[in-house]
Amino acid sequence: MGVARRAGVGAGIVLLAVALASVGAVTAAPSGATLTVGLDQEPPTLDPEASPSAVTFQIIPDVTESLLYQGLDGKILPWLASAYKISADGKSFTFTLRPDAKFTDGTPVNAEAVKWNFDRVVNPNYKAGGSLSALSGYAGSTVVDDHTVRVDFKAPFAPFLSYAAGGTLALVSPKATQAQGNEVNLKPVGSGQYVVSEYVPKDHITLTRNADYNRKAPWSDHQGPANLNTIIWKFIPEAGTRVTTVESGETQMISGLSLPSATLSHIATERTLRIDRNPYPGAPRIWVLNVRMAPTNDLKVRQAINYGINRAAITDSVFKGLGTTACAPLTQQTLKTPALCNAYPYDPKKAAQLLDEDGWKMGPNNVRQKDGKPLTLTINSINYGSGNLPEIELLQGQLLALGIDARIKSQARPPWYEDNYHCATNGPVLFLRSTDPDGLFALFDSANIGGNFNWACYSNPELDKMLQAGRETYDPAKRSAIYRQIEKLLVDQAITVPLVDEYSVWVVRSNVTGTKYNFSGYPILTDVKIGK
Amino acid sequence: MIRYISARLLATVPVVFGVTIAVFSMLYLIPGDPVKMMLSEFQTSPEQIARMRAQLHLNDPFFVQYGRFVWNGLHGNLGTSIRDNRPVTQEIFEVFPQTVQLAVAALVLASALGLALGILAALRQNSWLDIGSMMVATLGISMPSFWLALILILIFSLHFELLPAAGGGDLPHLIMPAVALGLGAAAIIARLTRSSMLDILRTEFVTTARAKGLRGRTVVLRHALHNALIPTITIFGLQFATLLTGTVFIETVFGRPGLGRLVVEAILNKDFPLVQGSVLIFALAYVVVNLVVDIVYAVVDPRIRYQ
Repeated sequence: MGVARRAGVGAGIVLLAVALASVGAVTAAPSGATLTVGLDQEPPTLDPEASPSAVTFQIIPDVTESLLYQGLDGKILPWLASAYKISADGKSFTFTLRPDAKFTDGTPVNAEAVKWNFDRVVNPNYKAGGSLSALSGYAGSTVVDDHTVRVDFKAPFAPFLSYAAGGTLALVSPKATQAQGNEVNLKPVGSGQYVVSEYVPKDHITLTRNADYNRKAPWSDHQGPANLNTIIWKFIPEAGTRVTTVESGETQMISGLSLPSATLSHIATERTLRIDRNPYPGAPRIWVLNVRMAPTNDLKVRQAINYGINRAAITDSVFKGLGTTACAPLTQQTLKTPALCNAYPYDPKKAAQLLDEDGWKMGPNNVRQKDGKPLTLTINSINYGSGNLPEIELLQGQLLALGIDARIKSQARPPWYEDNYHCATNGPVLFLRSTDPDGLFALFDSANIGGNFNWACYSNPELDKMLQAGRETYDPAKRSAIYRQIEKLLVDQAITVPLVDEYSVWVVRSNVTGTKYNFSGYPILTDVKIGK
Repeated sequence: MIRYISARLLATVPVVFGVTIAVFSMLYLIPGDPVKMMLSEFQTSPEQIARMRAQLHLNDPFFVQYGRFVWNGLHGNLGTSIRDNRPVTQEIFEVFPQTVQLAVAALVLASALGLALGILAALRQNSWLDIGSMMVATLGISMPSFWLALILILIFSLHFELLPAAGGGDLPHLIMPAVALGLGAAAIIARLTRSSMLDILRTEFVTTARAKGLRGRTVVLRHALHNALIPTITIFGLQFATLLTGTVFIETVFGRPGLGRLVVEAILNKDFPLVQGSVLIFALAYVVVNLVVDIVYAVVDPRIRYQ
């Protein structure tokens, strides 16, 4: 009996220890000086010029600065450059730099630093990320004087202004970067309102206020340093855990990425939380149809799919609160094309008629067939570890209603890419974030078949010419007209099934004010205040 | 004893060899061009692909590459992460202590709870305590750790706001992950200890001990428990290895830094050197733990080392 009692006491001690330890661990209430933000994943690198990932650019606007700034309204404003001039031939951009800008290591943001950064991106020994396509056709930079730099391109490159305002071409200190080696991936040295003071891999990044910042950022309501002392970016991959942290106050803001729409509806009812939504620029979530493989090599089949997919149903179910129904290969935020929204209204009868005309007659098991061959296709579906994306399963169901037997090839990212490069399925569902309509160049220029990202495997010399013209045209009206023409061609040819124009979604505690967002939909936190 | 230990050590050599072959072959077993896949998000030129191929020595014959992998590995060099260009060993050892901390905490919890419940249940067989604790144990075995983790978060983080839900580093951040991870193991240890204790308590030497007039405590602690622990030790080893791999789920749910999360993210990011390095460390940890268990087993039960 004595032993039994002791064992019982032992178990009791363990439980007591757990209980006692928990007493000291009461979650801290939101502090006026620190903002903790929950992110869905860790960035692959914080070096803006090396990163291919959006995660980097959600964190970096508080740390590094670009030559120009593009706000939510799309207007290009001065930032590190106080002015810019475009040469008559459209190939050269001359930037006048602010004389008072300094990197946080004390070195000046001068013409030499701009040249060093851009040369670094195109250096074949450097593994550049999204920055490389932002400098397509870069011919070199010239230091005109200490505060004037000329950036030359081989051909006119109109999207450069928007790209120079984006995170991919944010500037890092040449001196610090050369000295720190690979450390630049963790603690890049910029000229912004915060410095990366701590990086704990797989856990968090701490940004500390740069007290010496004495300028007024283009979005800011004040001159001088940021409001909060510290911003902590915490990596919380599990969506449920992330939501719990913002509900309990352990974090004050979280990324809404991969949150189920039902969770979002629930959050919308909570008084202590608010949801910040901003449309993403670029290409919407879109099903790209491979025009080289049967049956999507057939225009009538592609058109039938466009008529037969109920996009509104997809938006209202899995994307409720996360986006609006897409119309074209660019989001409406990037280029308004209301006419294209009515190009393929949901009309299953019309879809059936097109398939009938094309010889695809309804066969056994509700699958159409032609010459004894069933109408089947394969959707390339990326699987991040938690199964198929819900929109792909909805697509499959809707296609079956049309008599099309859609198979889902569910696979991890590497083989998913590989199949896209080889045009090996009837196409993937993807999205592309781009601040300029020139994003269509990556998606549809024939040079990008077998690479990133012409996965429709569509080659059309006329389209290539138009895409190049879009790059070379500066007049905004003419430029828009070119991209409208491009979009019309793509829609007429039914190269894609546009699904959802997505929002950048952030869940924020109500007492947190002053959150701002740039044109990419990424948060800027320098003006944030935390109330009671 | 030394002969026994040497034999066990030698037996690990083919296992480690097999592990390294398996880990290294991963690169070849996955369909497609590994370099193109690794660089898939980047805009690459054929020269860059060729340079990466050369950098990874992918043009060499398989066994030359394997030999280099082992040789470099023995020198603490497991290559460089594709995603952030940092040494794989550095990335692993930045987070490995956190994983060990979690696995050890879970094992301590599992052992204390499991042994206590198991012994209690055996000593009071068929009592309400026995039935109750075994029901709890069955429940513990049936509950998936990631589900339990979410329930704990809902109760202790959201409802009572007692414990932080995400992150690592200090004790408060360790409690819920350790409980979520350790409870299943506690249940297994409890059931095994109970049945093992019951068997031993029915043996003749225990009856003899009691007949000699020894105190109940001495009989149970010095005679019965000592023998009942032998099969339990094997389970400790296996459970520790299971806990180590269980961290893959738990670290993701709790947003804790650790090797489990490192490997998940490396797989999703197709960072082959990092996947190879992490899997290798997991496998080696498994081998070492089993070796230690074998040795402890021999220390506790002399019959083993005489066989």
